[in-house]
Amino acid sequence: MADKIGVYFDLANIGGGVDVQNLADEAAKKWGDLICLTKLLPNLAESVDEISRDIAEQGLDGVLLCGSSPRVDPERYRFPVMVDFVNLREQCVLSYKNPDGSAFIPGDQAPAALQGLALDYVQMGVAKMQKGSLPDSAAITATPRILVIGGGWTGLTAALEASSMDYDVVLVEKDRELGGAVRTMPEASPLGPLWEDKCPTNLQDKIDAVQKNSRITVYLESQMAKLEGQPGEYIAHIATKSGEKEEKIGTVILATGWVPLDQKYLAPMGLGSNPKVVTAAEFGKMLVKGEALPKRVAFVLDTTIAKDAIAKQAEEEAKAKEAAEAEQASAEAPAAEGEEAPAYVKADLESFKHLEYSNAVNSVGMLRLANTLCEKTGDASQSYILYKNMTVPGILERFYKKMQDRLGVMMTKADVTAIKDGGNGVVVECKNTLLGHDFDLEVDLVVLPTGLVPTTAKEVTVQFAYRQGPEFPDLELFDGYADSNYICFPYETRRTGVYAAGCVRQPLTLDACEVDARGAVLKAVQCLEAAGRGVAVHPRALDNSYPIFNFVRCTQCKRCTEECPFGALDDDEKGTPKPNPARCRRCGTCFGACPERVISFANYNIDQIGSMIRQVQVPADFKKDGPRVLILACENDAYPALDMAGMRRRSWSPYCRVIPVRCLGSVNAIWISDAMSKGFDGVMLLGCKYGDDYQCHFIKGSEICNRRMQNIAETLNRLGVQPERVEQLEVAIDEYDKVPDMIDGFVRRIVALGPNPFKGM
Amino acid sequence: MAQCLIKPDIDFARSLSEAGGESLKKCYQCATCAVACPMAPANAPYPRKEMVWASWGLKDKLTSDVDIWLCHNCGNCSDLCPRGANPADVMSAARNTVYKTLTEPTCVGELMSKPQGLPILFGIPALLWLIVWWLRAGFNGGTWFPTRADGSIVFGDIFYGDYTIDPIFMLTFFGALFIIARGAMKLWKMFSPEGKLTVVGEKKCWVWHLWDVLVEEVIFATHFDDCQKGPKTGKPEAGRRVGHTILVWAFCALAFVTAVVALGHWGGKVIPAIEITTPLKPLNLIKIIANVGALMLVVGLAMLTIRRFMENKKTHTSNYYDWYLLGVIWAVALTGIFSQIFRLAEAVGPAFLVYYLHLVFVWMLFAYLPWSKLGHLVYRTVALLHVRMYGRKY
Repeated sequence: MADKIGVYFDLANIGGGVDVQNLADEAAKKWGDLICLTKLLPNLAESVDEISRDIAEQGLDGVLLCGSSPRVDPERYRFPVMVDFVNLREQCVLSYKNPDGSAFIPGDQAPAALQGLALDYVQMGVAKMQKGSLPDSAAITATPRILVIGGGWTGLTAALEASSMDYDVVLVEKDRELGGAVRTMPEASPLGPLWEDKCPTNLQDKIDAVQKNSRITVYLESQMAKLEGQPGEYIAHIATKSGEKEEKIGTVILATGWVPLDQKYLAPMGLGSNPKVVTAAEFGKMLVKGEALPKRVAFVLDTTIAKDAIAKQAEEEAKAKEAAEAEQASAEAPAAEGEEAPAYVKADLESFKHLEYSNAVNSVGMLRLANTLCEKTGDASQSYILYKNMTVPGILERFYKKMQDRLGVMMTKADVTAIKDGGNGVVVECKNTLLGHDFDLEVDLVVLPTGLVPTTAKEVTVQFAYRQGPEFPDLELFDGYADSNYICFPYETRRTGVYAAGCVRQPLTLDACEVDARGAVLKAVQCLEAAGRGVAVHPRALDNSYPIFNFVRCTQCKRCTEECPFGALDDDEKGTPKPNPARCRRCGTCFGACPERVISFANYNIDQIGSMIRQVQVPADFKKDGPRVLILACENDAYPALDMAGMRRRSWSPYCRVIPVRCLGSVNAIWISDAMSKGFDGVMLLGCKYGDDYQCHFIKGSEICNRRMQNIAETLNRLGVQPERVEQLEVAIDEYDKVPDMIDGFVRRIVALGPNPFKGM
Repeated sequence: MAQCLIKPDIDFARSLSEAGGESLKKCYQCATCAVACPMAPANAPYPRKEMVWASWGLKDKLTSDVDIWLCHNCGNCSDLCPRGANPADVMSAARNTVYKTLTEPTCVGELMSKPQGLPILFGIPALLWLIVWWLRAGFNGGTWFPTRADGSIVFGDIFYGDYTIDPIFMLTFFGALFIIARGAMKLWKMFSPEGKLTVVGEKKCWVWHLWDVLVEEVIFATHFDDCQKGPKTGKPEAGRRVGHTILVWAFCALAFVTAVVALGHWGGKVIPAIEITTPLKPLNLIKIIANVGALMLVVGLAMLTIRRFMENKKTHTSNYYDWYLLGVIWAVALTGIFSQIFRLAEAVGPAFLVYYLHLVFVWMLFAYLPWSKLGHLVYRTVALLHVRMYGRKY
């Protein structure tokens, strides 16, 4: 609780004729002793030393900086006390327009509406600071040891990388020897510059380096039995052939790789039934063994035949199932309730899609195999590559160029419509080709692609001893790949402290697996160090706050433990939550969920936002002074979008008051009640997109908020308030040009609804 | 088109590669070339498809493709190819393959396809004319380099027209004509698609089409200009049309002179009034035409040769077929001019030697015509006639 606050006004960044002295006077009048000093500074950025002096001399415990957005130069203002900002530039003066909708022309004196807007924001800022405090440290003694699960190409690389950064490594491999899938590969696609030629994998060198490294402990024929605790102080239970071993672990790299797609998926193309049809992996083995090599080989990358056959089969099965169910339903009574909860069953997520996702790896692989065949037969053989999509990632385009340059490699886009026996071998029927006509191709062998099914789709890899279950929560978006949102947060999974690398994350070529391993090690180290300092890793990097539970009032409803997108909260048998600060990403979804409001952060809590809402001056006369609309804006995307709109002089209704929230998931229904009882006419929740193309930094936050909206609507209905007064809107960070219209549209709808029935009560 | 079994042939791809199409594997089928080509019509584009046929070694498709003859080798496709492939060179290599294999006896085509065959190709006429020389030298009292009493040189004293030069050249000329006509007919059949094509719209007799082709393409070579109307590639706009046209006209002039002299010589035996005896006087009109033709030949040749030397070697290479033809025509022109100079200068030794070489090279030009790049005179004409009859201009 701050009780000696210094309020500083940055005159260089407050324009529009706003009477700053008046703001300072009003604030001082209102808060009395709480405000220790107010200062009008000509240029805040040059007054950092002065503020530091004030803190030392006057014993300030909070500094409120009124001027530009908190997103401008925040690192300049790192003081040992609470620091907060009041955004009087982007979201006040720059985005202001007159209540009648006309453009604002700045003059000597700000219009009353703008002055009122600025004053509201200053008062809200002081209230926020009053209700906040500096968090206690959550630092733990982090074990500087990284667990790598999987001893294949990625796992070996990760282990070596981590050890080179002076971290101990525990490497767990399921198999009897290290190496994984690479053991059966004759050669690799390029691993480095010039990215042109095939190269030996030199797998044995990598294995030797790992085995000789004193920092790396290797467990062979071992699997994870349990992972408990939190980043920095995990305990890994490893099931080895000589019993279970316990290891203290800081963070985890998941590099469990892939298993080949079941042959049954390619059976419609002759795999399994025709000895002249093999997969790329089998053909690789033939090359390794040096068997008599065929003269004419078709590498078929178009697997539409199999896809169609499987779709048809699935359709038939669905029909049969439907019929069977209908029969069953009429025959049987519903199952008795109160049965014991079923034991945990891992869903098998393997599907044909995994083959399609593996197209890039297969494209590169088939180019490589086709060339090896030409080499080994002294350019007497012909390799036909029949593709639907030739996908060669990134710089491997150079490899493609080199591989296609060989006379024996003949390529065309083609719809492969049939693979049948005929002539002296197999006949491949091709349509829609680049050759300008449909044709049959007689070959001695057909090579089909290999589907890389991530191990996480088939089995429980890590065995988390978490409240939310032993495996990664499935978003139903990634078909079993261990991924959250790679573009924004590479290597991250939805379990803080566990980083996925290699083909368990996405089908990758060997060079990309190496890059992945290095990247994941950096993340693992970052997380380990963050746990040691008691701060968040991502996305709120360096945030030192964490949820605090007031267990006296907790009803053990378990909503927080269930809704946490990251499984940070465990619970005891009674259901009392057990926080694990190092697993936490500080989104506040837990306190958004809590009906008893027992969860808070030192610098972000229910009462704090409620107090800010109550600081807004809501005029009693709706007709004359207009409505008041509260905007709870997600500070990850929506708030920056508003800032950008302001910077670009886009304006929106001056009746709105914006409060940034960590995530829409942290919005507690009580804030809506607060706003309604204060007399606000509408509440707008501005957050990230959710669904298939979600952009939520906390993955589930905006989606959870949307679900809660139903409950909120019911509550409002009960109170006699139209539920239309509360809306959730989705905005992307780059939609600054749309967001003012979204706001104005909402305000128009509120004006049409008329005043909030609670106004003035 | 119906489903058919294709037989990709790596050996054919290899032979194409060796015949000037080294870059055929670099293509990734983006079709920039087909868009860049100023000659390719939008509804029948090339050379994208020729590139994939070449890569797959589809000999039948490529050799029976009419489009390889419609290409005038401006090289726009090669200049604009994003992958460093040279479709123009591959098209040229495909034409070379046709020169090599279209007509019997293909062993000549084999010899014509690489420099190693040159000694034999040169040796045949060299021996032939040496025998002729020896025969006359024997009858002439053993004199290999005879001069007339007034010191003048008459080549007919050694290479006697009635019994040696004329019969040999007539046989050669008509033999080559016969062979190339068979080739042309074969090519025509290869061009014709399976089944029947119906031409909608105005139709013309093939004779008129042939007339158009000869005037527009052969005599005035207008398509070289069309060729240069393509997208700007930044390369200097070589005046190929001028060099080529001068060369064609020079050949026409020389053919005219040959025809007049032959008519005068043989016709003179029947109608003495039109008799022409060689050597002609320097100021004789026919002789003037002959000399102007020879000079034009040299000028045209020089222009075409310099252009080839100036080309960007990265995107445009001149292959053996190109140099063979240029080389033989150069040899014909220079030996012809110098044999006249030495004859007038009464330098008897060099005169006969150079004239002998002249005969060798002229024979090479005609006898090997069906297998040389000069075959395009007929094959390209056939292709142009073919497409014109099916409603296309080129």
